[in-house]
Amino acid sequence: MLYVELALQGLVNGSMYAIVAVGLTLIYGLLRILHVAHAGLFTLGAYVTVVLTNATGSLVLGAAVSMLVVGIAGMVIYRLLYEPLLRQPPYVALIASIGLFICMEEGYRILFGPYGNSFSSAWLTERLSLGPVSMAAADLAMLVGAVVLLAFLTWLMNQTRLGIAWRATVTDAAMARSFGVDTIKVRYGIFFMASVFAAAAGSLVSVLNNLVEPTMGSVPSYKSLAIIVLGGLGNVGGTLLAALMLGVIEAFGTIYTGAYLDRDAIAFIFLIAVLMFRPQGLFGAR
Amino acid sequence: MESVLTLESIVVQFGGITALAGVDFTLKQGELLGLIGPNGAGKTTLLRTIIGVVRPTQGRVILQERDVTHLGVDERARKGIALTHQIVRPFRSMTVLENVALAAGHHKTGSVFRAFASSSRRSESSRARDLLELTGIAAYANAHPSALPLGALKRLEVARALATDPRILLLDEPLAGLNHIEAQRLADTFRDLNASGITMVLIEHNLGQVARVCPRVVVIDNGKKIGEGATREMLVDPNVVAAYIGKEAVRA
Amino acid sequence: MGTYELSLIAIVSINVLLALSLNIITGLCGQVSLGHAAFFGTGAYVAALLAGSGASIFVSMTAAGVATSLLGLLVGLASLRVRADFLAITTMGVGFVFVGFVRKQNWLGAEMGLSNIPDHGLGEWGFVVLCVTLVCLVALLTAYIKRSWLGFAFVAVADDEDTSRTIGINAAAYKLAAFIIGTFLAGVAGATYAYFTRFLVPGAFGFGVSISILAMVILGGLGSVWGVMFAAIALTLLPEFIRVINDYKIFIYGLLLLLVMRFVPGGLADLVKRWPPLWARVRGRRWKAS
Repeated sequence: MLYVELALQGLVNGSMYAIVAVGLTLIYGLLRILHVAHAGLFTLGAYVTVVLTNATGSLVLGAAVSMLVVGIAGMVIYRLLYEPLLRQPPYVALIASIGLFICMEEGYRILFGPYGNSFSSAWLTERLSLGPVSMAAADLAMLVGAVVLLAFLTWLMNQTRLGIAWRATVTDAAMARSFGVDTIKVRYGIFFMASVFAAAAGSLVSVLNNLVEPTMGSVPSYKSLAIIVLGGLGNVGGTLLAALMLGVIEAFGTIYTGAYLDRDAIAFIFLIAVLMFRPQGLFGAR
Repeated sequence: MESVLTLESIVVQFGGITALAGVDFTLKQGELLGLIGPNGAGKTTLLRTIIGVVRPTQGRVILQERDVTHLGVDERARKGIALTHQIVRPFRSMTVLENVALAAGHHKTGSVFRAFASSSRRSESSRARDLLELTGIAAYANAHPSALPLGALKRLEVARALATDPRILLLDEPLAGLNHIEAQRLADTFRDLNASGITMVLIEHNLGQVARVCPRVVVIDNGKKIGEGATREMLVDPNVVAAYIGKEAVRA
Repeated sequence: MGTYELSLIAIVSINVLLALSLNIITGLCGQVSLGHAAFFGTGAYVAALLAGSGASIFVSMTAAGVATSLLGLLVGLASLRVRADFLAITTMGVGFVFVGFVRKQNWLGAEMGLSNIPDHGLGEWGFVVLCVTLVCLVALLTAYIKRSWLGFAFVAVADDEDTSRTIGINAAAYKLAAFIIGTFLAGVAGATYAYFTRFLVPGAFGFGVSISILAMVILGGLGSVWGVMFAAIALTLLPEFIRVINDYKIFIYGLLLLLVMRFVPGGLADLVKRWPPLWARVRGRRWKAS
């Protein structure tokens, strides 16, 4: 049953990547900006959740406030950092975003210390057995949380004004404007939603590991960049698939290639190999 | 006259849209050919296929009896094809003079090693100055493109393309955005350059200028060639008139 | 000058070499690389292995440069296949793969690293003279490239690759040239580093190092020789002399990237160029105020 457990483990990680990467791809589709600092918001979400949950005793309250705070922080980053840089060559916003991400990570270290914070009451650590397959309750919570979030995302993209406006703007911004789409509002809306998702992923991971560290965003940050390229930049469905695939490939890869390669390098080997054959990404259109 | 460039049943598709549906096209040595047709007919796509920015889905591009369909843009440019962009694309971090001088150094930049071994820009700068003079933008030589009005940028496109010493010059609406006198002057310049031996294709909406400088035109509509022949005859050809009027009627 | 000062000169020289080498790829040719530390590391490990097998410093430095530029050529070829947006991510990936690979290789010392790299045999002073000579040569080379038609074409490729092709510039060949030259120099810098520390660990070539090299180039001003050298020297020495800066070094690097990109994307070089009008404006304001 090792394979089933590995696959489940891969799906758990993959769904975490998916929730973070979807925000990146939404933003890239809209503005052609690689928003590296997105993972800094993921970490912020985790910190706010842990601190508030420990202060109030309610995880639900902690997670809800965290999503709201981080959502607003995402819009502020757009307004203060990206909006003034939209006319610059793309590397300007990218490097600025990397700078912001480094500042955020270091800022958390300075504020909260380097060793990480945990929930004061440990829970969800017990393992559940489903027949021969056993799984930590927290892993299950992560999977369920991811499914709920991704279902919500599908609804958001297909049924709401924001989702439809996003797709219209990505296809043809001028056309969208002429049909009465307020593209500025769409940008704020997308930054808010993407950041809310990042915070939700941060909360889930904080529960999953019962640990929040300043650098917990590093791995999802760089990996989600690889994922959105694999998924075909600006392609939501492709991003989800690529994230889940990568999670599973990593889980199995660790077993088979662990002797030659670090687990965190697998994503990029995969990325470089794919780009050589399909420069537009696995699921990108030419 | 001998043909310098031939397109054989060119088909170009973007996604699901067919921009060119089997166009045959011949350019004769030394001519100044007008390429006309309503908006969205596929004229720009045709020029971009000739220089190689657009790769055809089907068909062949033949330059002086050589199949160049699989050659890159820069290789075709080094074989003597030059293009002016309809939407101007100057190098924004260079001055106007540098834009043209760089193109004038095409024999140096054609090889990385030669480029590394050369540093004098004197002869290219003086050639560039002559071309700025010719196109009437010498006054802007040391300005950056961001400081230029659209008319001057259009002429910079022409000066830069000429600097590559092209045998075939593809002009994509170089007169758009110029006032009547400017347009007239630039069109005359094209006629003079053509007389000096450069073969040209001119996309132009101002049919008056086309009639004045182009003896022969090719007309395309909806990605298909609908007419080809002497300009005066084509402009009164019922099919051509219908294509223009049809589009205008739909838009009105 | 004591050992401390001499070693400081060596460290500064290595960083200036790295910044200048990235400046050729990113500053002159416009190809953003987020994985420069991988090339630095390749040069260092190659030199360490060769030195260990008895090669002289000059042989192993040259070989390190050549080996690294081969890797650079590979990455350059990869870069031709991907859109500009992807290049930054691909090079970042190369950085992660390099560290992830070296960490697991026992013949490269894995996590514990390579130690006992032989002495260069030049003496303390000789080594520093070599370092400074290298810096001068590379600075002169960069200045020459900027003046040459190679540099002229680089500007066009950085500015608008598609348009550069329409005037006959083989953008692919120029990008490869930038990668080969830049990574060769990064390899030489790596070899210098290997002889300097005589001890290599994979962590010394991580993403953070790529970012600090990039910070030097960005702060100095993409493409500017003097700006980049000044920035590399300043960013290396300030943390040495000012304790507070050292404590928050990474934070400051991040903040610099953020602020420079947000407010002066042209870096220090651009700021200096704009200095006279800036100065006039400040004075103008004072006059109005009084």
